[in-house]
Amino acid sequence: MSRPAFSLDRILNTSAAWALGLLWILPLAYAVWTAIHPAAFEARFVLTAPLTLENFVKAWQAAPFARYFLNTFLLVTMILACQFFLGTLAAYAFARFRFPGRSVLFALVLLQLLVMPDILIVENYKTMRMLDLVDTIPAIALPYIASGFGIFLLRQTFMTVPKELDEAARVEGASFMGILWKVYIPLAKPTYLAYGLVSVSHHWNNFLWPLIVTNSVETRPVTVGLSIFSAIDSGIEWSVINAATLMTSGPLLIAFLLFQRQFVQSFMRAGIK
Amino acid sequence: MLKSTLLKAVAATALSFSTWASAQAVDLQFYFPVAVGGKAAETIQGLTDAYAKAHPDVNIDAVYAGSYQDTVAKAITASRGGNPPQLSVILSTDMFTLIDEDLIIPFDDYLTSDEDKKWIAGFYPAFMENSQTGGKTYGIPFQRSTPVLYWNKEAFKEAGLDPEKAPATWDEMVEYGKKLVKKDASGNVTQWGVRIPSSGFPYWLFQGLAIENGVTLANAEGNKTNFDDPKVVEALQYLVDLSTKDKVMAPGIIEWGATPKAFFEGQTAMMWTSTGNLTNVRDNAPFDFGVGMLPKKMQRGAPTGGGNFYLFKGASDEQTKAAVEFVKWITAPEQSAKWTMATGYVAPRPETWETDTMKKYAEGFPQVLVARDQLEFAKAELSTYQNQRVVKIFNDALAAAITGKETPEAALKAAQAQADAILAEYR
Repeated sequence: MSRPAFSLDRILNTSAAWALGLLWILPLAYAVWTAIHPAAFEARFVLTAPLTLENFVKAWQAAPFARYFLNTFLLVTMILACQFFLGTLAAYAFARFRFPGRSVLFALVLLQLLVMPDILIVENYKTMRMLDLVDTIPAIALPYIASGFGIFLLRQTFMTVPKELDEAARVEGASFMGILWKVYIPLAKPTYLAYGLVSVSHHWNNFLWPLIVTNSVETRPVTVGLSIFSAIDSGIEWSVINAATLMTSGPLLIAFLLFQRQFVQSFMRAGIK
Repeated sequence: MLKSTLLKAVAATALSFSTWASAQAVDLQFYFPVAVGGKAAETIQGLTDAYAKAHPDVNIDAVYAGSYQDTVAKAITASRGGNPPQLSVILSTDMFTLIDEDLIIPFDDYLTSDEDKKWIAGFYPAFMENSQTGGKTYGIPFQRSTPVLYWNKEAFKEAGLDPEKAPATWDEMVEYGKKLVKKDASGNVTQWGVRIPSSGFPYWLFQGLAIENGVTLANAEGNKTNFDDPKVVEALQYLVDLSTKDKVMAPGIIEWGATPKAFFEGQTAMMWTSTGNLTNVRDNAPFDFGVGMLPKKMQRGAPTGGGNFYLFKGASDEQTKAAVEFVKWITAPEQSAKWTMATGYVAPRPETWETDTMKKYAEGFPQVLVARDQLEFAKAELSTYQNQRVVKIFNDALAAAITGKETPEAALKAAQAQADAILAEYR
């Protein structure tokens, strides 16, 4: 390999990465631009345009966002905690125990990955109604807590844990639960982190199911608040919409920037591609 | 098995509690969509609160349900799930779909006295076209609109046109448009003559052109369309020619959402859009603007649009009665005037326009009267059985012609054949 070829390769790589990066950041940059300038500058880029926070104030006042944020926070926490609990136990069983019907059951779990959640909306609604949970936060969460994807992912990770570690712990007299707690879970941390990110961002952004199953301000998440800005009959105020969008996705963006290194690494280690 | 037994037990307990609670007062649940900015949701909430205060025997729960599409999805899901609302505002064009799905009941059974019949007759006939079928009334007009032509008076003055006069005919609109087009030194257009948005639901404004040319797009029974009528073809040719031959409108698909903005910024001197925009234009246009009826070919004409109240199946007799009373109250002049002033929707009853509040409002802002006066010439919005599918076929045909992929005639012929295939079973 000759040196010039190598550097040409490098230049190409770097410039392509920059180009893609710019393309990716453009919508976000536009959102920031419109959100902090008066509406008159939505489509005009004047560097000296006056800055304003008025759009955020307007957006904040258009819906009870404080309550919505609390609801979304409760919702994603509840879903994630239940998913971890159920997923860990199920994955442990599938990975390390032999019992009749194991492969059939596992195939059923995998089947869940093939079913679009949207086509189950009516059935889920009926179930929630029978449980008398319509218009509650648990009703938004329940259909998602037994996650086939989570079980699958954790099972694959648990399978990669060397049997020797398991056996050594057992020789030391650890119980099954003890082994799970002390051996498997610590080794699967990157998977938990990666899966947690996917789950939180997915449920943070979920719109249709929460809208359908809830009716009141006390139970609705931020996405429902956001939808109030899509007023097609009267023209779209981009500056206010973008302010609201930044506001609602802000916590996720900030969390991602803070934990960026861990997330990227955990994705690489967990092997999600 | 175990799951269903458990669920039933829980449900039975829950049911016994809820019947106990509803013995105290009538509970009403009412879904509403929001399709205009500003204070629409707050206004509805305020009105229902006022009603509940005056009627302690009714508990009314107004539920914001997203866009029109979200609302109909929510109402259908809740009905299928055994928990229908008693009342919902849904697009007037969804009437056939809701009947087909067997989810709604007509108002007639609850409107039997002579006074009630007079009340029904008190709505503008143009709005009732989308609300009645087979001799029964399924919808009561509430947030209804119609498209109008907005023009920039300063641009008219600059082009040497009379700033107080909107184009009255198709030919005049082209003629004015040609005078209004402005180009910069390199030949790029900086100001178009007119803007008729065509993204998303092009059929709506196009319907205006079709009606003006003396043809309706579908029959009143909702089971036959006239997409390939020569007059429809001619109307589409006119629309296509605006950008290809006459060059008074930007070519290609034109965005709805960006249209008011383009008008404010002077990128177009005239625009066609909903009266739902009136308040927005009044607050944001940096110039004097006029509002006119859509120009005519054989006649004036425009479609109506927007949402009606529907009564849902599954409510008790008591609940439905209370729901009808509420609908009567909220469409009464005083309430209706508040709603119209907050949103720009057209008040659906002539008597509302006779109130002092509305008279005063119209005096300071005479543009609001144009939409009302245009109702005389307005026709039902395109609505058929299997509405979503039929309208999509039509929209795709319009888009194909507007973007130049097909000739208007070929596109509309194909659309008619597809619509016939779907609607045949409803004849």
